[in-house]
Amino acid sequence: MVASIVPQFVPAFYQSTYSTALYGGLIVAFIGLIGIAMEKRDIQVLILTDIVGLAMLIVVAAVGTDLSEALILPGLVVELAEIMAISEILISREMRKKDVDTSFSPMPLNIDMEIMTTAPNFIALLLIGYGVFLSGFTGGAVAGGGIVIYVLSRKVRGLPIVVLDGVGAISGISWCLWIIGFLLFFLMPQYWLLSLFLAALGLLLKVASKIGLIGILMREEYGRK
Amino acid sequence: MLIESLGGDLMGTIPLGDIVLYLNPLHIFLFVTILVFTALIAMSRTETQVEAMFGSLDENKVAVGKKEFKHRRFLAIICGIATAGAMITGDLFNFTLFMALIGIVNIGIVSAVKQVEVLNSAYQYGLIAMMCGLPLFGGAAMILAATGTLSLIELATIPASPMMIFCALVMLIGVCGESGIAPFFASKAEMFRTPGSPFILIIHLSSLFIIVRFVEILLTIL
Repeated sequence: MVASIVPQFVPAFYQSTYSTALYGGLIVAFIGLIGIAMEKRDIQVLILTDIVGLAMLIVVAAVGTDLSEALILPGLVVELAEIMAISEILISREMRKKDVDTSFSPMPLNIDMEIMTTAPNFIALLLIGYGVFLSGFTGGAVAGGGIVIYVLSRKVRGLPIVVLDGVGAISGISWCLWIIGFLLFFLMPQYWLLSLFLAALGLLLKVASKIGLIGILMREEYGRK
Repeated sequence: MLIESLGGDLMGTIPLGDIVLYLNPLHIFLFVTILVFTALIAMSRTETQVEAMFGSLDENKVAVGKKEFKHRRFLAIICGIATAGAMITGDLFNFTLFMALIGIVNIGIVSAVKQVEVLNSAYQYGLIAMMCGLPLFGGAAMILAATGTLSLIELATIPASPMMIFCALVMLIGVCGESGIAPFFASKAEMFRTPGSPFILIIHLSSLFIIVRFVEILLTIL
């Protein structure tokens, strides 16, 4: 990193770590590539490719400014989208080869755990309640986990699963809430508490419905002829 | 090199905070061409491949189903818009994002086909695209580390240092892999062997346009 573009208040120690982090990222990527070159099974290659993606995040994060932080999030999203697209291709190919159809939330393993039959509804309710209490991104993930546990437990017990068609609509509305909250921050800064809660609620609903949606989307993809 | 000397006279800038779009005849030409092509795709219908059967006078038609047609048309339009965005952008990082989006959408266009060979090559292309995310994003981040900016109009005024030349070459590897050109073309060529011509063609067209634009970016920043 050129010394003249780094502000004076940044300690020399942090400046000197840039090249270390850069080499670290490249070494991680190299290890991942060696693994890809040696591995023959498709699913293993896909998992190993993710290591190269993580090395990309290390290289971007090594810069350590707020602009590079702005690069990390899209980089992570792109990485996730790519790995999901490729695994979709892989699933679609294997389905085509075997010519089979699968059920809702296909599970390769038989999940025969006690937790799925004793009190799954209570755990799901607890998780959703705790998620609402947390709010924001973390809360959304916790509440979404509750929804997934509920769906899984019903699947394990052999009960019919209620497919919520409106989940997609909730996701869209919460997206609007988030954007309105964000705009209010700029237009009317005095109502910052309102906009904060709008954004937090929007994110909560968004992430929770996203995680809940995964199962529903999966069935649609498998049902495709 | 200065911005004015490439792609004709500078016709003006659109300042959007940190992101400054700059317009010159080359960008506008590429932008309008890809948008016209996208509009044509949005209106067109897919072709039906006809294969002659061996030993008889019958023929075998390979058509695209309605659902698959809609799915593919949507992704092809997204791909066209992303390419148009990459043509007009004045920010190095936006360019890498559009590039990555084109890579994902290219995989998506062929994700619903029935031929196993096409899915196989799409899988190989996807792996290459994902591995090339490292040089693409890493190169952009290293340019940021070397110069402190990602705006092309700023980068054009900064004299090229050895670090920037290295970063630009790393980014070139990334763009080559993401768009699937010369050294990586073998994996992508098989993807075209499926019915649905205009939508499949945008995979090819987007990578051609991206390369033209990236060469222009390289000449601008170095």
